[in-house]
Amino acid sequence: MELIEHYKLMLTMRHFEEACLEGVPTGEIHGELHTGIGQEAISAAMAGSLRRTDALVSTHRNHLHAIAKRVPLKPLLAEIFERSTGLCRGRGGHMHPFDLENNFSATGIVGSAIPVALGYAYAFAIEENENIAVAIAGDGAVNTGAFHESMNIAGAWKLPLVLVIENNHYAISVQSADVSATSTLSERAAGYSAWGATVDGSDISNVIPLFEEAVEHSRTGKGPAILEATCYRFRGHYEGDHDSYRSREEKSKAQEEQDPLEITRHELIQTGIATDHELEILVQESKQNMLKLLEDIRRDPAPDPSDVLKYLYR
Amino acid sequence: MVDPKRRNLSLPRIIAEAISIEMEREERILVLGEDVGKIGGVFGTTRGLLRRFGEKRVRDMPISEMAFSGMGVGLSMAGYRPLVEIMFADFIGVCFEQILNAMSKIPYMSGGTVKIPMVLKTAAGSIGSAAQHSQCLWGTMAHLPGIQVIAPSNPYDYKGLMASALESDNPIIYIEHKSQLIQEPGTFLNDRPVPKERYTIPIGKASISLSGSDLTIVATSALVEESLAAGQLLSHHGISVEVVDLRTIVPLDLETLTKSVAKTERLVVVDEDYQSFGLSGEIVARVHEELDSSQIKQCIRHTMPDLPLPAARSLEDAVIPNRNSIADVCLHLAKSS
Repeated sequence: MELIEHYKLMLTMRHFEEACLEGVPTGEIHGELHTGIGQEAISAAMAGSLRRTDALVSTHRNHLHAIAKRVPLKPLLAEIFERSTGLCRGRGGHMHPFDLENNFSATGIVGSAIPVALGYAYAFAIEENENIAVAIAGDGAVNTGAFHESMNIAGAWKLPLVLVIENNHYAISVQSADVSATSTLSERAAGYSAWGATVDGSDISNVIPLFEEAVEHSRTGKGPAILEATCYRFRGHYEGDHDSYRSREEKSKAQEEQDPLEITRHELIQTGIATDHELEILVQESKQNMLKLLEDIRRDPAPDPSDVLKYLYR
Repeated sequence: MVDPKRRNLSLPRIIAEAISIEMEREERILVLGEDVGKIGGVFGTTRGLLRRFGEKRVRDMPISEMAFSGMGVGLSMAGYRPLVEIMFADFIGVCFEQILNAMSKIPYMSGGTVKIPMVLKTAAGSIGSAAQHSQCLWGTMAHLPGIQVIAPSNPYDYKGLMASALESDNPIIYIEHKSQLIQEPGTFLNDRPVPKERYTIPIGKASISLSGSDLTIVATSALVEESLAAGQLLSHHGISVEVVDLRTIVPLDLETLTKSVAKTERLVVVDEDYQSFGLSGEIVARVHEELDSSQIKQCIRHTMPDLPLPAARSLEDAVIPNRNSIADVCLHLAKSS
């Protein structure tokens, strides 16, 4: 993937999340909503080297990973907006999208994606194919027992598991630096005989080569990898979060210096790949596409309450 | 007369035979658990499987239940049919998350687009090992929507229900009783011969283990055997007992249950699990919702009290229902009617 393609994907991701924000005040999304605004570079970087046959198991903040895994946007947005046309017919909602066509799934429980991804990794290992399983964790999830248990098994049996840690430094309000025994999270890889690296995850040009390296490591049978990508979550933990644990100065500084879209836009212009005007056209196109998509799914019906018991058992 | 062709197999060997037949039939079945490979399980219910099917399909796991129960979920989504063993039901606490929030919920949360054909097999019930190694907990598991819970009571049913569990596309918890796993072969009261060949027993069908007319005992797992023994004791008192073996806790076979109670008009629910908020209360409620008050003259529960199981035998005997205590409860009921 060329950098400009990555940029376009990041635009899609940003505008997708902004479309989701529209559904909160209207009550169309009536539960929690966790967006990944500010963290787009990591997912967009992954999109470049993931195959459809690779598995990705995501978290409560999963929309960007779904987009990276090429989950179709329309049923994804429809599911988030609680429509009958959603990926999961309105049963999953924004925290639990499943698209096995693209080997994508998620869980709303912090840390619980890792064992599930490990199951995929085990499947790929016994099939002796080149697929890898990617588990997404935040800086909170790496402090769960599930992280340790899973990484140990992956290391012991050299399973093709790539753990991507999106370290946005806050587990809701608890700062990673205050509760982590190691100064980086990737150095824990040593305990599991895994490949490990930490990267500035706001700059996609940094993330791409390191994610490729992690994937290559696992794809070629060398065992698990842990890639820690630092980033900043621009919104609160969820929509409605008072977010009093981060100062206004900290937030505005991060938005100014760590916006992945701005960083890449700057690079595209500096390297002469595109002009500011050309990029602005892409921004407008992306926004329009997303508005159209939002309009479309808003016409779709809510799930039929008389069907509420359907799909419990087979 | 002893049938010379009758096989004298221990219950663990019968369960291992059932799994083996299914693994032969369906290559996507994998077995994961602690000590399931080299030693064939601490009770022997997976003996011989590693040698026969190899390490890819039968894998000894580290003590990481959260990881390997989650692997069962991931493997299911990757197209496999994992049989995950949690050695003792008591250990389910350390991996409950994957059962509570993934295994049981994904089929529904995905709007039916994802199936989780996973069997979680575990050994429950008392073997004198006190509060952390002798619990039943089927009520806790049955409380979660989306999983089916099987608890057989005799060798024939263990085999047939294992085949059905491994064939099912639903997530299933298959609960063995520890005391039955170590019981001498040939000593079960319900001692129907177990064929070598494959057969299935429908999930969600209770059975009438003993026909009678004066009262209905509803039981599950090892207490079915105790209820049958109680039935023999009570017959000496001229009381004719019907014993309903649930076999499957979820789905509950309410039809068989209510039919029996409608006939005998008296219900005794025996349960080795904790009394409150569980199976025994559920049965009482469902039967009463189904039948009108004129159809049930008496109804009583006889269960493990809400208490961590004590270690000393004298204390354990005081709280776990057995044939004598069941017979006493039934006699008391008969006298008061």
